[in-house]
Amino acid sequence: MAKMPDESILSDAFIHELINVGEVDIVVGVPTYNDGRTVGQVVQAVRAGLLTYFPRARAVIINADGGSRDGTQDLVRAASISDMSVSSDVRALRTLHSISTQYEGGPASGTALRTILAAADLLQAKACAVVAAESTTIEPAWMESLVRPIFHDGRELVLPVYRRQKFDGLLIRNLVYPLTRAIYRCLVREPYPSEFAFSGNLGSHFLQQDIWTQEPGRGAELWMTLSAIAERSKVSQSYLGTKARPENPPSDLVNAMRGTAGTIFAFMESAPSLWNGSRELLDAPCGGCQSTVSLEPLRVNRKRLYQMFAFGIAELEPVFLSILSPETHAQLKRLAALPEDRFAYPADLWARTVYEFSAAYHSAVIGRDHVVQALVPLFRGRAFTFVTENRDATAEQVESNIELVCQAFEREKPYLQKLWDGRK
Amino acid sequence: MRGVRATHIFGERELPQQDALWYKDAIIYQVHVRAFYDSSGDGNGDFRGLAQKLDHLQDLGIDCIWLMPFFPSPLRDDGYDISDYRSVNPTYGTLDDFKAFLDAAHKRDIRVIIEMVLNHTSDQHPWFQESRSSRNNPRRDWYVWSDVDTRYKGTRIIFLDTELSNWAWDPVSKQYYWHRFFSHQPDLNWDNPEVREEMWSVMKFWLEMGVDAFRLDAVPYLVEREDTNCENLPETHAVIKDLRARMDREFPGRMLLAEANQWPADLCAYFSGGDEFHMAFHFPLMPRMFMGVKLEDRKPITEILKQTPEIPAVCQWCLFLRNHDELTLEMVTDMERDYMYDEYAQDKAMRLNLGIRRRLAPLLDNDRRKIELMNGMLMSLPGTPIIYYGDEIGMGDNVNLGDRNGVRTPMQWDAGWNGGFSPADPEQLYSPLIMNPVYGYPVINVYAQKRFDHSLLSWMKRIIRVRKSTPVLGRGSIEFLYPANHRVLAYVRKLGRDTILAVNNLSGAAQAVELDLKPYRGNILIEMFGKNIFPRIGDLPYLLTLGPYQFYWFRLKKV
Repeated sequence: MAKMPDESILSDAFIHELINVGEVDIVVGVPTYNDGRTVGQVVQAVRAGLLTYFPRARAVIINADGGSRDGTQDLVRAASISDMSVSSDVRALRTLHSISTQYEGGPASGTALRTILAAADLLQAKACAVVAAESTTIEPAWMESLVRPIFHDGRELVLPVYRRQKFDGLLIRNLVYPLTRAIYRCLVREPYPSEFAFSGNLGSHFLQQDIWTQEPGRGAELWMTLSAIAERSKVSQSYLGTKARPENPPSDLVNAMRGTAGTIFAFMESAPSLWNGSRELLDAPCGGCQSTVSLEPLRVNRKRLYQMFAFGIAELEPVFLSILSPETHAQLKRLAALPEDRFAYPADLWARTVYEFSAAYHSAVIGRDHVVQALVPLFRGRAFTFVTENRDATAEQVESNIELVCQAFEREKPYLQKLWDGRK
Repeated sequence: MRGVRATHIFGERELPQQDALWYKDAIIYQVHVRAFYDSSGDGNGDFRGLAQKLDHLQDLGIDCIWLMPFFPSPLRDDGYDISDYRSVNPTYGTLDDFKAFLDAAHKRDIRVIIEMVLNHTSDQHPWFQESRSSRNNPRRDWYVWSDVDTRYKGTRIIFLDTELSNWAWDPVSKQYYWHRFFSHQPDLNWDNPEVREEMWSVMKFWLEMGVDAFRLDAVPYLVEREDTNCENLPETHAVIKDLRARMDREFPGRMLLAEANQWPADLCAYFSGGDEFHMAFHFPLMPRMFMGVKLEDRKPITEILKQTPEIPAVCQWCLFLRNHDELTLEMVTDMERDYMYDEYAQDKAMRLNLGIRRRLAPLLDNDRRKIELMNGMLMSLPGTPIIYYGDEIGMGDNVNLGDRNGVRTPMQWDAGWNGGFSPADPEQLYSPLIMNPVYGYPVINVYAQKRFDHSLLSWMKRIIRVRKSTPVLGRGSIEFLYPANHRVLAYVRKLGRDTILAVNNLSGAAQAVELDLKPYRGNILIEMFGKNIFPRIGDLPYLLTLGPYQFYWFRLKKV
């Protein structure tokens, strides 16, 4: 028998609002924190998408807010359609609630997602989509792309495929995507999505997992993807178009590494049988997919990447000695000694490095969080190489280079298995 | 509430002193003579049969009968194609039979509304036969003739499934004649004073006999003008006002009911300042009640009622769930129409023109809870309710019969021969009875339902009795409450110091709702069916829970 979800994270006032919403077909969750500048546009697009593509469905927009003080919640609530506030330009068959709640403990994407999951579970939603409040490139059609595969094709998780600038999403392209693909044998381009959708059943299942008792907020979306593909849920991808780049992208690479590599390592650790063996490739068809790379200019401070790599190699040598194999460590030291114009961190070495970190996380040679943190300077070196290799590349060449990274991770996977099993 | 304003005299029969606003308190029962009871054994219902079954209607609690056309007719449109306005179709009996029925109804305090089809006649009517006989005939100008079929081009075609044009070619007089409905129903020319006088003479004929009211059929279309859509024209309103003035003068206390399938704002013009129609059907509300229940959302209902303007105090809306026609979807948006078709008429055979030809019970999946809820709203929203014959027992329909005949099958009185409708051989019946195992007469019939307190018929009697226990629901104002739970439709009806609260759960799941009843703080609620007391209204929102499709009527009482 399934466990009851922990509903205590929902405030009484919010439950009160959910009672008024009642059972729904679609929940659209919008996590926010001081997103007043963009969230209005986003929820209006969501509303237009629901009215256009799912006019008959019972839907609700749910905002899980981390404590905004800029009117974010009011902007979300303004998207409601009811008989109390009839707008002459909106033609809707039924009421659309757009409600907001502030969760405890300050902004944390995991808590926001959990709030949305718990609400969707209570409302018995058949499908739940999550959209980011800063996604200003959102189109109403995103709702169809995300939700329709669940309603009509029986998919349980729909992940996005974005068109990104070629140097955007370096961590996704060099670590999260290749590692996930190699480990879990499923080709999903955006395993750590900011827009995605899932079935009510998958949401309820996910809500019951232990992840919520761990540090809140980090990597929950990625955990959900890993869980779905590892357990061979029906996953698909939908091409959404251009992903807006945040005006002030988070600069804390350590936290980003915790949320990505840390989450993947932890998930591998929690259920090794789900990856440590030969598995069939899991098909994750992509609806409407086009090129994922765009060539608009984006400045990257390569010099700083290079310097931070070299500095890290020197500074963290004792740590690396306990994590890395002597061969890998020696190669990295040799790389660090190269001048910037000759520096290159090849994909094969990068894949082996990541796998050695994963194994170190597994055997907990040092504190696991330290293992994850120590990967940061090495990633900078890999990022430097990716930027350098693709500086003058066309979109197709970038795609091809990303594919080479993935293949390197796949080739080296037996090495990981040996490390994991203690055979090396 | 009986007043003294109008005394109602017809021949030797006289009703007690009348309230001129009687139609506001009425519960109307719509019936087709042909379908109700056959006393002669020829397979068709008749007036003698209808008179014999008045006990059933009195027992049900209705106090007004609306008769569908019973005039001589070729019956190509179920009697709306009249060929003689001053007589009774011999199939249904004689004029004396009608008078006897009228007398019997009045003795039971039941009023009678008859149809008056002003817009058109049958093409078999002698007037039209004369009119078409030659272009020089004195009655030529009683109809609308033209050498070309391009006049009044801005006029829509109503019966889209059968008609390609509003003009039909007459091979006899070699001109086109105008018809808004079937081509065998030529429109009368209301610009002709002779027509106006003659039609008033027809109305007077029936008023003198004692009928209490007319349902005027297809009123928006009486007059045609170039460069208009030929609907709701000022000249049409002038015609009605003239008829009303004459009726008020010579027959005070009688009533005119408009059949005008229009948007509320256009409909309101038919009330004018209270000197045109007394009542009009609220066509746009009806499909939205079905939509509200299917969507489990009050929005369609409250929105259309918010768009409904105030009407003069002496006027009243007529509300209905089903009638002899298709569930018309003319007054909904394309999106709403598609939804209604998909939800209520997946089988294409159920669709006709811009509507759905089904009865109430099949439309509501024979779900007793939904049937009760819909009747609860019918009887508590502002207006006079109409019950379509057979719906009080949950009769089914037969979409395999042509046109709208599937909802006009014989009344099901018992489980015996022909469902108790007629002693004739089944093959002789004007229409086959409903025979299927769900809605067939062996299962659904008056006799069986009279035996049980929990039958639909018994429940209908109960709700009618409760409705009639107060004038508030017929005459009171309405104020919508807007609880945050959109599945609950709640409103307060008020008349003088009397207040009634109606709360309807449109959903198939139990609901909790909090009502803002602060203006009524200190009142206790008395549930009107069981008369049980509910907690006193305090400062906090009033919490109610409702079962699936449940509704409450509460009388508010300050103790």
